[in-house]
Amino acid sequence: MRKSAVEPIVRFKNASLGYGKTAVLTKVDLDIHPGAFWGILGHNGSGKTTILKTMLGLIPRLRGELIGRPRFGYVPQKERLDPLYPLTAHDVAAMGAYRTFVFPHRRSAHDALVRRGLADCGATQLSQKRFSDLSGGQKQRVLIARALAAEPEILVLDEPLAGIDITTQHALLKLLKELKEQHSLTILMVSHRVSAEKGLFTHIAWVDEGKVTTGPSEEMLSKGRLSEIFKSEL
Amino acid sequence: MSAILEMLKPDFLLHHAVWGSVVVGFVCPLVGVYFILRRLVFWGVALPQVSASGIAFAFMLQGLGLNFLAGNESQEKHLAIVGALVFTLGTILILAALERRGASLSEGRIGALYALAGATSILFVAWNAAGETEMLGLLKGEIVSISEVDFHAMLDIFGVVSACMFLFQREFTLVSYDRDMAVTLGRNVLAWDLLLYLIIGVTISLGVMTVGPLVIFGFLVIPPMAALPWAAGMMSLSILASLLGGLSAFTGFYLSYTYDLPLGPVVVCVACIVYFLSTVGRFLRSKANSPRGSI
Repeated sequence: MRKSAVEPIVRFKNASLGYGKTAVLTKVDLDIHPGAFWGILGHNGSGKTTILKTMLGLIPRLRGELIGRPRFGYVPQKERLDPLYPLTAHDVAAMGAYRTFVFPHRRSAHDALVRRGLADCGATQLSQKRFSDLSGGQKQRVLIARALAAEPEILVLDEPLAGIDITTQHALLKLLKELKEQHSLTILMVSHRVSAEKGLFTHIAWVDEGKVTTGPSEEMLSKGRLSEIFKSEL
Repeated sequence: MSAILEMLKPDFLLHHAVWGSVVVGFVCPLVGVYFILRRLVFWGVALPQVSASGIAFAFMLQGLGLNFLAGNESQEKHLAIVGALVFTLGTILILAALERRGASLSEGRIGALYALAGATSILFVAWNAAGETEMLGLLKGEIVSISEVDFHAMLDIFGVVSACMFLFQREFTLVSYDRDMAVTLGRNVLAWDLLLYLIIGVTISLGVMTVGPLVIFGFLVIPPMAALPWAAGMMSLSILASLLGGLSAFTGFYLSYTYDLPLGPVVVCVACIVYFLSTVGRFLRSKANSPRGSI
């Protein structure tokens, strides 16, 4: 991996990650520098989400070091959110601003932040619609707006393109590219395949068989490296 | 109509009972929406029964000669509330800990708990035959005989519960809807969960003492279910569920008073009719909104 003079905002150093006492990934070394666009790639069940959950503080690391706790904007898998809740798109986006308790009469600043996030994601017209009634692509826009309302340093997306048609995928990737520039974001995106998004990544982490291999995207996506990683699948 | 006007008069004999029922009807659905949305409806069945078991246990201790709070009727009620609170909060904390650990077969666990609470309620009553009548009255809910002091204490406590439910609605919604997001934002999920459980425990314990476990279960679950299809946001769900609960309580009291029927079952039946009407309304709305000829 290329060395950078700028300190990473998140660093895994010889870390073991997993659940309970079971390590899913070992010897993880990963430096995330400001402004990078990381793709965390690998098969289903390979441990991509384990990296993400450890970084976000949702599960503890088992061994090694995790340095840095920047402000995260988290976009979860949309299927994980229960459709029973009668929440509008605005209600969902507003959750990004729930960092601290605020009395009702002082919430106007938060509302402005939420409206701006929805506007940046092209979701203003969705704000009063029920979130559970939205299409997959519309839900992703609202969830990205929610993440922006947290005023993040790193935007973390878990399988944002899963279950979305190819046209909408391109529109979402275009949106992410614009947001990255507009908000000077660092982005980390988990995906179980490489297709339309590969041109956006500056760095890639391949997760496979309990190991994480990292490097600049042009190096990681070279034909030789891909055939080495995916073996017979290519 | 004249009966309704009579019930609304301040000098009505059952003035505190009417407004006590209505307040319980307003407040329980505010808590109940989280049972529905967190898909913990069975908690709503089991916890009132556990609370009733706590009341029976407190009276059993008294029957066995452990009169550390007892003396007059008011103190006996306080003892019963303490019993209900300890049992309810203890059970909530155990259930919540098991849920967090992801222990398997949650429904089976709640079913066993319900059966146990029902069985122990009967056993505790059986061990204190001297106070059986009074205990059975408490377990059924003694709203009709609620004293002025108890009525005002109930208003104060339910006032605080309602204020908390509205003031902290964003926090309760966040930790219920997306715990991972809440952790990512640095919120103390455990503390907010504990506060919600404390409020649930207090509401159920006090409610069971006031109107009995059957009505509390009805108010926790039925008005939020009736309100859910019509709500656009958590605030509208809470307000609508609360209004339907209060309306069911008042209508139930009116029917009970007019036709000399037992209050609890009438209130629950009225709430179920409201739920039925809501379901029919939702069906008609979806039919009207669906494109003609579509499947």
